[in-house]
Amino acid sequence: MKRLRYLFLCVSLFGQAAAEEAPSFRRDVMPVLFRAGCNAGTCHGSARGKDGFMLSLFGYDAKGDYYRLTQEMVGRRVNVAAPEESLLLLKAIGKVPHTGGELFTKDTPYYKTLLGWIEAGAPDDADSVPQPVGITLTPDRIVFEGGNGTERTVVTARYSDGTTRDVTNLALFLTNNPATAKIDENGVVSATGRGDTYVFARFNRFTIGSEVIVLPEDKDYTWTNPKAHNYIDEIIHDRLEKLRLLPSDLCDDETFVRRLHLDLTGGLPSVDEVRAFLADTSPDKRTLLIDRLLKSDGFTDLWTTLWAEMLRVKGGGYAPSATDVKAADVYYDWIREQIAANRPLNAFVADQITGTGSNLTSGPANLYTMLVHDVKVTPKNLAADFSQLFTGVRIQCAECHNHPFDRWTMDDYYGWVSFFTGIQRKLGVEPREFYVFNDRSAVPAKHLVDERPVPATVLGGESSVPAGEDPRKALAAWLTSPENELFSRNLANRIWAHFMGRGIVEPVDDMRVSNPPTNGPLLDALAKNLAEGGFDLRAFVRDICASRTYQLSARPNATNADDTRQFSRSQLRRLRADVLLDAVVKATDGERGFSYFPKGTKAVQHYPRTPGDTTRPMTGDAFFDTFGRAGRASVCACDTKAEPTLSQALNLIAGDTVQSQIGKGAVIDKLLKANAEPEAIIGELYLRALSRSPQPDEMSAMLGLVGNDTKDRKAYQDIFWGLLNSTEFLFNH
Amino acid sequence: MRRAFLVLFLVTSAAAADEVITFDEHIKPIFREHCQKCHGEDEQKADLNLATFADVLKGGSGGEAVVAGRASTSLLFESITAEDEAERMPPKKPPLPEDQIEKIRQWIEGGLRETSASQSMVAARDTSFQPANPLQFDGPPPMPEGFPDFTPPAVKRPLPVVAMATSPRAPLVAVAGHEQVALLDANRQKPLGSLPFPEGQPNVIRFSLDGRVLMVAGGKPVQSGSVVLFDVKTGKRLTTIGDETDAVIAADLSPDQQLVALGGSGKAIKVYGTADGKLRYKLEKHTDWITSLAFSPDGKRLASADRAGGIHLWDTAGGGILLSLSEHKAAVRALAWRADGRLLASGGEDGLLIWWDANDGWPVVNKPNAHPPVRPEGQYGKLPNGVLALAFGPQGQLLSAGRDRQVRLWKADGGAVKNFPTESALPLQTGITSDGKTLVAGDDAGGIRWWAWEG
Repeated sequence: MKRLRYLFLCVSLFGQAAAEEAPSFRRDVMPVLFRAGCNAGTCHGSARGKDGFMLSLFGYDAKGDYYRLTQEMVGRRVNVAAPEESLLLLKAIGKVPHTGGELFTKDTPYYKTLLGWIEAGAPDDADSVPQPVGITLTPDRIVFEGGNGTERTVVTARYSDGTTRDVTNLALFLTNNPATAKIDENGVVSATGRGDTYVFARFNRFTIGSEVIVLPEDKDYTWTNPKAHNYIDEIIHDRLEKLRLLPSDLCDDETFVRRLHLDLTGGLPSVDEVRAFLADTSPDKRTLLIDRLLKSDGFTDLWTTLWAEMLRVKGGGYAPSATDVKAADVYYDWIREQIAANRPLNAFVADQITGTGSNLTSGPANLYTMLVHDVKVTPKNLAADFSQLFTGVRIQCAECHNHPFDRWTMDDYYGWVSFFTGIQRKLGVEPREFYVFNDRSAVPAKHLVDERPVPATVLGGESSVPAGEDPRKALAAWLTSPENELFSRNLANRIWAHFMGRGIVEPVDDMRVSNPPTNGPLLDALAKNLAEGGFDLRAFVRDICASRTYQLSARPNATNADDTRQFSRSQLRRLRADVLLDAVVKATDGERGFSYFPKGTKAVQHYPRTPGDTTRPMTGDAFFDTFGRAGRASVCACDTKAEPTLSQALNLIAGDTVQSQIGKGAVIDKLLKANAEPEAIIGELYLRALSRSPQPDEMSAMLGLVGNDTKDRKAYQDIFWGLLNSTEFLFNH
Repeated sequence: MRRAFLVLFLVTSAAAADEVITFDEHIKPIFREHCQKCHGEDEQKADLNLATFADVLKGGSGGEAVVAGRASTSLLFESITAEDEAERMPPKKPPLPEDQIEKIRQWIEGGLRETSASQSMVAARDTSFQPANPLQFDGPPPMPEGFPDFTPPAVKRPLPVVAMATSPRAPLVAVAGHEQVALLDANRQKPLGSLPFPEGQPNVIRFSLDGRVLMVAGGKPVQSGSVVLFDVKTGKRLTTIGDETDAVIAADLSPDQQLVALGGSGKAIKVYGTADGKLRYKLEKHTDWITSLAFSPDGKRLASADRAGGIHLWDTAGGGILLSLSEHKAAVRALAWRADGRLLASGGEDGLLIWWDANDGWPVVNKPNAHPPVRPEGQYGKLPNGVLALAFGPQGQLLSAGRDRQVRLWKADGGAVKNFPTESALPLQTGITSDGKTLVAGDDAGGIRWWAWEG
């Protein structure tokens, strides 16, 4: 009897396999909801659903979606007795009023999948279907010659059981720049204009891109084969040649000496420094200048400020947030010591991650006061800021749903937050003092969907924290390891952006699959070099500044006038607020004090340090407010503003900055007193403001302004004022 | 034994009688640990002092801090359970541990006892079931004697039992099917025949008080909806009421059969006269879909519930609102009147099962998590625990169905009697036959389950 039944079972199984298999909810139905846009953010995927029906955004919660479709209102959305009367189908084909309109017709595979599933009784299939583990988009690189053409792409999903499946008709497509290439709903890419961009396919929780290059039909193009200074140029030249771009010429010495001083020290070169550099005839004088400036205090000051800005160092007087002025001082001084000693950047970061102890005595512990600026340490906020700062990843998108345009899932997010759930501050011996420590009894963060505790897990990795250990140790070890590309690429990109005016990934704090680097091999090489070089900031910077690419002129040639992404020429960069203020003071021999700082403090040495609550944006000086210095209200790189404003123009034209510094420094009075000739005075003013001598036509125009009364202080002051208001002065070029 | 029964009868709070929660023993230490820094003898933020029992009762500048017997309307309880961190007490701290919150809830619900010697401050309510004089109807209990000539439409599989009703006089159960209503003999548990409902899916089925008329409400989702009255004996259609643009989700027939109330996705309740099919009045107060409607046994009141948790009691004569019953935090799935009209029961997706005093809207018995699901191993988070269906029996007992896949029988005062598992399917509808001896449930696989009951 048993035997017989077994036989019967086998037969029936074969019979089933031969017939068409019923669609699976997770494998087949969920992708249809994704492709048709049902679970998009503007439709039922919004946090509160739409018109009373909610789906998880892009399908992060299949179990919940199954419940809402079949169980929430039994018999309405899905009708197993009369499948074609299911509201799900009627809405999708637009047979009944639907805010989203008609999504597909009855003759599509989408309709057939949904209908087949309902006809089979709308079964659930939790744990029984293979999960997608990744997707590929082929080809991964498309080059269109002659400015037009189309090409079909194919999306293939790989599943946990090792199978693959063509999911092109279930994927969604997008392009990063429709002016270069478009992609339609069938995955067909078409060229629209010269340039390089990426097109993306999305399926399940995965996003993947293919590079598209559209080349013009210019037969005259020949690669000029400029000499590479180092690996940076080799990679960039390779890229430029592929894109049929030519790099601009090298910049002249006047431009270089000014550019390098501003980038390495945050200050203008002195007149003597400019003259000495121009007079120097040694062939390697640029490299020598780089080496000299890397050793200068100015370099330490500037990079301390750049870090202090990212780490949100600011001191106030509101005790409960643990960010007292004294804590800010301790943190700032500690950062400066590390930069001065050229401490490896990974060790510098690791010290802060494991920072423990008093905010008034331990510099690195202040990561957990300054990054937070709140009376309580909220693990989620800390986790988000930490990730954005040290990896460039905006993980917070995965708090409520899997990241729609990146690889991060909610599991990744909550595992990441769990590193920070134990971080606490307890009151010290005086009201300003707090001890930062990790509470080992803290419980992990709970997953939003099913409230399951997710143990501390590094991004994209496995859980690896030994029980009972401060999880920050494991976090620091993982984050700052030379093998961790998230860390090295982020640092390399941020440092590169400082010198080139643009990250290879831009914005620098938005690293994601759908925001790929404009030159992937370059970022890889820079990151590798930084890591292999032991995270030596100065050595890394030296390579950048020594490259031909850094030393290019801003003047475009016939091929690269439109290029802003491939580093074929130098980009004009507006001076940072602090650098600008220092430049005005230095050019004029002026003096500018800051509240709560000793006399002689430079703007680049300044950090917000005033009584009050540090949770609000605060720059500590009205000039910084006007010129967009970061108020350190967030870790966003966008906090430092480079956009010009009307009030900036008014400040420089009529405010108390330029005019009063010219008066204070009395440069012109001194020159007049020394009986200098008009040409010499004008020449010196040019060198002071622009680090170059005037062109002959400029000189004659200026002499015309001076007129016959060559001792008239006012005319020179007007000239100086004009130079300090010129675009050339306001920009690093 | 009899004495014990009586005592239990008078206990009105929902709190399990295991432990009496008192201020001195249980609550004071919690307040001292978490609250008294700001609300104590030294400082009284918002004029609230939580140091002594008398001070707690006094409340603060925001009014009463605690309402005896009703945690959900007590400011103090609202503050410690607020979802919004900015509103929650204690400020800028994690919420109180769950067990402490539960203690405070039980203390309030139990009537704010100061010491174990104190009396509960909740007025004792008599919830005893008082059946009215048996209604006198002419003739034998109406049973179907004929059915219209009708071939039921072919279906892929049975419709989930989205609607069901038991006759108040006869051993008769009506069950929803696709475009039809099946009538079953409750004694033999056998189908008798079907009434066609080409209007679509029957979402509500109700018998009239005399058992002679069957009301079927439903339709096609986002297309059409109406209510049809059938003569139980002949199976003939008596009238069709309403011409809605969406399926009717909630409906009821008044005891005198003069009115039909219906509602659904339109949020407004429409009350029609059955004689002429004309709209009598609209009730517009609900902010979400209407999920349940029920006339009181005397026909004077209409209870209505919505998908956001709101319940209102209306005066059927004028259409004015009498009471708003706010306890539910999620969709109300079922409303049922006890036959004596003194209590109204409601159940919802928030897991609450509430017996309301219909006179003043007081939640006499409030059972949170009345259908507690068994947590599968390794599963965290909130499990669906909604109450899906309610039906009172002739002796005031209540039969509920819930997402825990149990049908549960409750005493007239809210005490649990017995539960009946329906593991393989989700029970969607319940009923108790007119003799009180058969319990019925319909499930989402289209199955009907019967249990004999000698209670």
